[in-house]
Amino acid sequence: MLTIFIQLILAGVLQGGTYALAAFGLSLIFCIAEVLNITHGEFLMLGGLVTYILFTATGWNPFVILLIVIPLFIFVGLIYQKAFIKPILSRPPRQLFFSSIVVTVGIATAIEDTTSFIWGPTVKGVSYSMPAFTAGGVVISSLRLTILILIIVLTVFLHFYLKKTFLGKAIRAILQNREGAMVIGINVPRVITFVFGIAISLAAVAGVFYVLQFTIGPYIGLPLTIRYVAIVMLGGSGSLIGSLVGGLILGVAETFAGFFLGAHWSLAVAFLALVLVLLLKPEGLFKHV
Amino acid sequence: MFKKWVTPLNVICILVLVGLLLLPRVLDPYWVVFMLLLFMYIGIGASFNITAGYLGYVNLGHYVFFGISAYGFAILYSKGFPFLFCLASGVLVTLIFATLISYPFLRLKGGYFALANFGLIKLFELVAGSLRNFTGGTQGITLTPGYRPFQTYYIFLATALFTVIVCYWIPRSKFGLALFSVREDEEVAAAFGIRVNRYKMKAYVLSSLFPALLGGTYAWYSAFIDPEVVFGTDKALLPVTMVMLGGTGTFLGPIMGAVFMMIIEELLWTSMWLPIWIKSLHLTMLGLILAAVGIFSPGGLVTLSPFTWFFNRIGFGRFLGASHKALNLEEG
Repeated sequence: MLTIFIQLILAGVLQGGTYALAAFGLSLIFCIAEVLNITHGEFLMLGGLVTYILFTATGWNPFVILLIVIPLFIFVGLIYQKAFIKPILSRPPRQLFFSSIVVTVGIATAIEDTTSFIWGPTVKGVSYSMPAFTAGGVVISSLRLTILILIIVLTVFLHFYLKKTFLGKAIRAILQNREGAMVIGINVPRVITFVFGIAISLAAVAGVFYVLQFTIGPYIGLPLTIRYVAIVMLGGSGSLIGSLVGGLILGVAETFAGFFLGAHWSLAVAFLALVLVLLLKPEGLFKHV
Repeated sequence: MFKKWVTPLNVICILVLVGLLLLPRVLDPYWVVFMLLLFMYIGIGASFNITAGYLGYVNLGHYVFFGISAYGFAILYSKGFPFLFCLASGVLVTLIFATLISYPFLRLKGGYFALANFGLIKLFELVAGSLRNFTGGTQGITLTPGYRPFQTYYIFLATALFTVIVCYWIPRSKFGLALFSVREDEEVAAAFGIRVNRYKMKAYVLSSLFPALLGGTYAWYSAFIDPEVVFGTDKALLPVTMVMLGGTGTFLGPIMGAVFMMIIEELLWTSMWLPIWIKSLHLTMLGLILAAVGIFSPGGLVTLSPFTWFFNRIGFGRFLGASHKALNLEEG
């Protein structure tokens, strides 16, 4: 029983880490651009799809493919922002919010449908495995362990990126005080463009990890976006720690629900967590960065 | 005495109404079904506009009320209860559900509210697909089939008219004034003594009534429902697309949006000259239309100059504004 328990917690932590990576991107976009980016889950799906295509075509190591996916999706994010988000950014806040939902929901549907049309609605996975080892009766897959280590490395890297580099400092300045940041000469539209690049490549990285552990299908995007929003609300918007903790809570809760109730109840758990947090602590668990 | 009532507007309305009542007698059954779906779209779009346009809360899961009522109706009807009883209980269940869910949901701001509702409709799709012995799972529920387009035509016509009349009344009433002030600024509205939460709840529950009426009847008409038909993603996006296309917050917007949506769908599905791949990508088209409307024309079709000119010409100009009668007095 105890080993099952530990195994479930490990799986939950891993799933939560994957969630947290993408959710932090969504949270950044939400705070910096004041746009709710519903296409976020689609970019995770596309990241997984690119990995799948490259893996089946070349047979390279998925972690090498990761090095291709990151710059590719920074580029995709920049183009996406230029094409769809920039035209609506100049609207007043409430209208921007509505327009952003309408535009991104529309694009998300279009991406899902086109993907399903071109690559078919069947689920795909990358059959790449690494030897597992046993520690104290608990079976640990070294693939999952590698992913976990990579997630930790990425999170630490992000933390220092936000604290040390100029762009990171600019992002934090806008989070704390938008007008103040404009006054001291930070080019907010430019930062918004880069934030989209970073956030969407984070989603794609999460997609690579996702396709290594589970399978992807064209329709996983929107339910995932709903989970990310639940995480952002759970952890409080714009906070790296908040996204991490929110992601871990949701990941562990979903893994337990999936084990004891059945896999299709995991979205219900996310939904329940969301409603509970809204009732108890509407402003989220953590403040800004 | 009568001179006052004989305006071009009233004459047009009465002629249209009489025409719609007589239409099934002269029309091909195919077009009766077309009109019936058009009324359904108008009812759903106009009721979506109550929360999205008048209250300022975009409800991405508006269709969930349609689905709950349809399931409530179908479950009871398949057990042999009479039509009216099933419809009434379906609507009642929906209203109770809307009242309960409005408490946590209306505490959410803007986009969170929209997304939580979207999550709700996805959750219902899952639940309806999983509870096999209650809702029939993904197989859906099949009722005793029958040929009922004419009865459904009149029921849908009545419901759509009811919705349109309510939507006409709201921007002229005290209730509507409260909704519009909540839309403009919640805190200021509260400071002026409006019970913000109560009005938001009322608007939400009111907007759930019309899709509930339509949903139950739709289940009866089509004699088959499954999670995909009533909770699918394309269904969830339908009201948003329609109303954004027509114009949010205006009286004419949802109606125009519904008409255009029906025409677009009709062209996509039936025209022979379109290549087959466009038809398979019909959700993509829907999404791209939605995105294009959001980017290029946030006010919708009613703000485009040809339509504005036309409606002003026939005396419909006062239905183009997206505000309350009492709020734009200074604009004349």
